[in-house]
Amino acid sequence: MSPSVDYHCHCLASNSAPPPPHLPSSSYSFHPLHELFFCEECDAVRCNRCVSVEVSGYYCPNCLFEVPSASVRAEKNRCARNCFMCPNCRNTLSVVPSDPPDMDDGRSPSAAVSAVGEPPFFLYCNHCRWDSAEVDITFEKPTGLAAQLQKYEDSAPDSLEFERLKEHFEPFLRASSSSALAGPPPTAHSHHPHVNPITAAASSALARDIPGVGKYTPHPRGRRDKGPRDDMVEYRSRVEVGGSSTMGEADVEFMRHIEEVSEVAALEQRWANSWATSLHTSDLKPLRIPLHSKKSKRCPTCRHILIKPEQKAQSVRYKIKLVAANYLPSIKVALPQPMDLVRRGAQAARPPGGEGNSGANGLHAGDTYPFTLSLTNPLYDPIQVRLSVQRQIPPASTTVASDAAPVEKSRRPPFAVSLPSSAFPIAAFAEAWEYEDDEDMFGVDDDEFGFEAREKEGKAKNKTVGVLEKRANVTVVGGEVVIGKDAKGEVKFNMLVSYTYRSDDPLPEDDVRGTPSRTKAPEMKTFSFYTVVNLGSIVPRQETKMDTDP
Amino acid sequence: MAPLRDKFTIHSKAVVCQDVELKGDITIGSGTIVHPKATIFAIAGPIVIGTGCIIEESAIIVNRRKEVMRIGDDNLFEIGCRVESPTVGNFNTISTRARVHHTVRISSYCVIGAGCLVVPTEDEVLDEYTVIYGPAADRRTWSGRGKVQEADLRRKHAEYLRETLPKFNRLRRGEAHGHGA
Repeated sequence: MSPSVDYHCHCLASNSAPPPPHLPSSSYSFHPLHELFFCEECDAVRCNRCVSVEVSGYYCPNCLFEVPSASVRAEKNRCARNCFMCPNCRNTLSVVPSDPPDMDDGRSPSAAVSAVGEPPFFLYCNHCRWDSAEVDITFEKPTGLAAQLQKYEDSAPDSLEFERLKEHFEPFLRASSSSALAGPPPTAHSHHPHVNPITAAASSALARDIPGVGKYTPHPRGRRDKGPRDDMVEYRSRVEVGGSSTMGEADVEFMRHIEEVSEVAALEQRWANSWATSLHTSDLKPLRIPLHSKKSKRCPTCRHILIKPEQKAQSVRYKIKLVAANYLPSIKVALPQPMDLVRRGAQAARPPGGEGNSGANGLHAGDTYPFTLSLTNPLYDPIQVRLSVQRQIPPASTTVASDAAPVEKSRRPPFAVSLPSSAFPIAAFAEAWEYEDDEDMFGVDDDEFGFEAREKEGKAKNKTVGVLEKRANVTVVGGEVVIGKDAKGEVKFNMLVSYTYRSDDPLPEDDVRGTPSRTKAPEMKTFSFYTVVNLGSIVPRQETKMDTDP
Repeated sequence: MAPLRDKFTIHSKAVVCQDVELKGDITIGSGTIVHPKATIFAIAGPIVIGTGCIIEESAIIVNRRKEVMRIGDDNLFEIGCRVESPTVGNFNTISTRARVHHTVRISSYCVIGAGCLVVPTEDEVLDEYTVIYGPAADRRTWSGRGKVQEADLRRKHAEYLRETLPKFNRLRRGEAHGHGA
């Protein structure tokens, strides 16, 4: 696996510090940058686990028709136009006319095939050549096929049963909802601060008195409960349960006498059905294509929209798009290949034998590796970035009391990471043409001002730790990891990234860059976030010894 | 074995573009269309192609056997397919980048789907109306409904190409005994 950087969203934790990276569960708190959102109001990162999702529109993926939500339910979440799916291979089906009556030689003159086509029409798969006439579905006209198919779907026993159940509960639901409205409003659930109307409606529907179902209330024996419960008529199903068990036996019988695998409909072929269907391949019916939805996402705390797609199904753009990639510097981590190491002269002490595969195939215990972090600034202002490795949280004394030694050992990472300790600048993002003239100037400026000290420090360490490269809005910094002699597992550490940016007040450009101290200027703001850096897994010591020692 | 001498017999109504690679003893029937950059190699035995076939760009037809490779009428060989079957019947479609090994004989009205590999180790004859499709090269049998319309479409396709291709390509003429490289 190549080295990676994931970003922390603290929605799962009570405090903002991320969980230790060696815990398997920590991966749930970290996400790739492109999956994250950024709420401007809360000034915080949001992930797909914490945002609230709303459907902003339904459309058919085949004809791209936007279906009004009112008809979605009536049409059973499937396209009601001329879009059908092949039950055999799930390609889209086309409506074709029948062949003209057979000529004797089988080669009718081309004039005989008219453009209009003649009935009966049927659905035809261009991919696997399945056609609906195989299951006796043909149409007199090539229009309005979906309605005819839906009629067919609606006559499925499961569907009829479901309709009957709904009908059965309808009067009770209506009675109880009206009584709930008349009664005092349910206070237990309503004062949650951040509920949108839909979830509020849903939760009130869940909290509603359902006759015969116990309700969570401090005084459950209310007067209202008694009336409707007594009224409830026993539900009788259309088909007795015994009937379905004989169907099961029929299936068993069918499976016993099966001759070819293709006689049985595969799971994928039955998966898209709304209701349970028979196991026979010969019973597969064409399906109306299921609708897709476009969703918008809101911040869980302030309810502001983070991302909202354009209404039109054809459009792939967004009306609102607050993605974290536009706010946080993106970080890419890389372990330089051995060739680079040789050129830099950083690894003079490395045994030459182990060099060939180390960069690509993992990290060897007991070795020191440089790595690079390249940070890209998405903002239109230059930023100052400071990196630090997260301090390990001291283990709670109660948990380690008994078996202290092994636990202690696993908690302490078997490697040490050094990162540039002082802040470094990243130039502003701009359109590419702006850099053509300025690029050199930026470089010179930075070297002259804040970096002579670091240059020297860097040279002392063979220039692996510190700022390595600056161009456009990218700054590459180097770090180093020292891996313990008997280390194993993965080199994975949490890194705190703080960046200081200028909030709205404009200052002369040189002034800001000349004094890169974030404490001095009051209009500078700092934002911090955690990342987890995964450099790869450690190759245990024994193997490397075999390689290098003889 | 000694390579066959090049001998191309092209019907006067066939459309064979100049820029095709032909090798060996090849007979091309009336109304058949061979697009530029197609390859037909009669390595061991001759190849006889019937009438009304369409052989598209970078399709490859190879005969590795001694016997005559017979390709029937109105077959469509789509772009980049490779066919080595000793016999091919009528009205077959070999889709884009499909590959048919020399162990398979194709009867009639068969469809080899795009990218399908048909490479059985033992000799096999595909029944009429066999359809091979999908990444796993699944097979099923086509009912044959719509074949008249498809044949009609195939004929129109060929007709259109017969008109259009000569406008933009130089053609090989029949009875030309080339000198293979």
